[in-house]
Amino acid sequence: MSKVRVMFSPVTRLSGLLSVDVILEQGRVVEANAGGTMFRGYEWIMRDRAVTDAVYMTQRICGICSTAHGAAASYLLDELYDHELSENAQYLRNIIFAADFLQNHIRHFYFFSLPDFVKMPERPPFHGQNPADIRLNPEDNQRLAGHYFEAVKAAQESHQILALFGGKVPHQHSFVHGGVAAAPTADKIEQALALLGNISEFVKSRMVPDTELIARVYSDYFRLGITPRQFFSFGLFRFGVKNEKFLWRSGVLADGRLYPPRLELISENITSSWFEQTGAEDIKPDPLKPGAYTWVKSVRYAGRYFQVGPLARMMINGFYQGGAATMDRIYARTMETLLLTELAREWLKNLKPGPPPISQKSTPVKKAVTAATDAMRGALLHAALIEDEKVVKYNIITPTVWNFSPKDGLGGRGPLESALAGTEIPSQNMLFTILGRTIRSFDPCISCATHLLDCKGGVKAEAVF
Amino acid sequence: MQKEEFSKICRELSSGGSHALSRAILPAVKEHLASHNKKKLPVIWLETNDSGDNNIAFMNTAYPYLDRVFTEMLDLLYSNTFMAAQGRDALSILEQVSETYKGKFTLVVEGAIPKKDNGRYNIIARTETRCITALEAVTRLGGPAEYVVAIGTCAGFGGPTAARPNLTGSVGVRDVLDREVINVSGCPVNPDWFVGTLAHLLMYGRPDLDKLGRPTLFYGFTVHRHCQRRSYFDNKDFAKELGEIECMFLLGCMGPRTGADCPYRQWINHVSWPVKANTPCIGCTNEDFPDGSSPFFTPMAEKSKGQEGGKNASNQGGEQA
Repeated sequence: MSKVRVMFSPVTRLSGLLSVDVILEQGRVVEANAGGTMFRGYEWIMRDRAVTDAVYMTQRICGICSTAHGAAASYLLDELYDHELSENAQYLRNIIFAADFLQNHIRHFYFFSLPDFVKMPERPPFHGQNPADIRLNPEDNQRLAGHYFEAVKAAQESHQILALFGGKVPHQHSFVHGGVAAAPTADKIEQALALLGNISEFVKSRMVPDTELIARVYSDYFRLGITPRQFFSFGLFRFGVKNEKFLWRSGVLADGRLYPPRLELISENITSSWFEQTGAEDIKPDPLKPGAYTWVKSVRYAGRYFQVGPLARMMINGFYQGGAATMDRIYARTMETLLLTELAREWLKNLKPGPPPISQKSTPVKKAVTAATDAMRGALLHAALIEDEKVVKYNIITPTVWNFSPKDGLGGRGPLESALAGTEIPSQNMLFTILGRTIRSFDPCISCATHLLDCKGGVKAEAVF
Repeated sequence: MQKEEFSKICRELSSGGSHALSRAILPAVKEHLASHNKKKLPVIWLETNDSGDNNIAFMNTAYPYLDRVFTEMLDLLYSNTFMAAQGRDALSILEQVSETYKGKFTLVVEGAIPKKDNGRYNIIARTETRCITALEAVTRLGGPAEYVVAIGTCAGFGGPTAARPNLTGSVGVRDVLDREVINVSGCPVNPDWFVGTLAHLLMYGRPDLDKLGRPTLFYGFTVHRHCQRRSYFDNKDFAKELGEIECMFLLGCMGPRTGADCPYRQWINHVSWPVKANTPCIGCTNEDFPDGSSPFFTPMAEKSKGQEGGKNASNQGGEQA
């Protein structure tokens, strides 16, 4: 039978620019090549800068998860300068970090994902919405569409908590190496608790039931967009004087067993990416490379692809026992949102009013440092080589690189591409609707994704776990 | 509302939810539109090479919130971030509205424009047969737009995307269009600056701009001039560590040569700003940000030169302190 090629572009309602080249045969997706189509060269931008600039500079990699980059860079500098973190600093850092997670998850669910399942009002920016396969009854539909507009405030209030302590956002200022520069005063704690109360109420009375309703009405998506059960997380929310403890554990979940991650087993490949190898340890961008289709590189762990994100965290921590399909990813993200509202409240209550919990030393004790944490979308790694407090090399692997890995010529597909392949498309006008739901369940962020790591050059195989 | 009154509100309404800018502006916009039989501002929004922080900043607009901006002020006709349509449906909408609203739409560009290799470093959409680069889209839509607004420092001047070594040859929108571009810079923009600028376009047309093409309403004075810690500076009482309450000048503060109203506008429903969080201003609205501000924690006189040898490093358009 003849194959049909359809370019799904632009995939709207996400951060950044994404095109998916889809090959169909007899109403079934037989291949999908997901292309991140923007490149800035951030690792090159980081070179030869003061290493302490990393917290503010790397946040500018990503607008929707800026705090995650700030956190990773802060952890990296904590280790470089051998800082000691007070308990108050860790609580405050985690409150700031969690506030950005709440913002991200609420905006992702309502602004990006909801219009996949709910008929929105016929006016900009919702005009021209394809109504095929909108299944909610009119009453439920109207209620959920209304919640889109309530989410506007809940997400803004999440960022207001962040700004109370962080000065501004995106690209907050106070969560830096050595602690947090802003003082957790009683008035700010009280304001944050009040805002969190509103957000918590929204998540409990809107986001959770809305997710459950969509999961019920679109229950076939528990069987669509399935990936192999291979999950990866660097862990999330650090505690301890040396950032040595994680609240949520790191792990590699494969073949039903959980292993500790080992950084030396991470490898990257540029076969399908717009880069050319220019030396043993160097590559350069090549936007006209034949056969390549994305700025995202392939990343594997011990030779296999792994999915990262809320579902991976929930699975690895034993909070969720479901499958690895589109609706599982959506469900796990909402579940995580609920957990975070409770954790943030606990941390705010544990935070002691007082002076800024920060203490910065000025002499580096290392020349190569690696920091790993989870971001909203999954595992995030920063690694730097430093000389005289200047960056020689700064390497970053973002979550979307894991999930949106293109084919690396060694066989198999990355998580997104494997989730898309095999999808049945009952009618041509449902193609974007069906694939869009699965693509967005990964919460794509392409501005983040177009980065690279050269393991040989930058990352020492240090046992950080 | 008269233009003078509008300008006064933009300048004077400061912190605190009850005095927030857009709360004051939107009812006036609504009234103005009703009395002048005008429609909402038709907007085509292109995301190019950036971090996506400016659309997030826009989502943070407060009093009224984003939903009311959508219902009462803007018709967001094309937006990669918000539109419900997707794939070629979205692309058809772009083609259609750029024709229907020719000469009437406002083009908002979020991100720098890579020029190297014919702009292949940023493709806003693909079809089965070709790639539409940001360079092509912005060039093509820039002509028929009534106004072009560059949101954020990347779109305005290149920003972090064009920071050295600028492998992608990225530039601000003004460098690919032969026409006036209104720059609403910031990394990211403060939503008040953006919403306020669009409100001005809607009701009174082009606002007064400084020499960098930015509305003087928001960028006309330096951060330093209005800083709450100015008395510390005047008394040479400088903070030595982040977290201290004195002037941040010796910790690299760019306030003296950064045009922006952060000290009284503040951020996210007007609750704080970097100096209030005991950290320096890093000059994110400036033409030479970030290179001209780095190292961020080094005093101004010792910072490295900005892009192209720092040709604009001492000429930022903001009023000098």
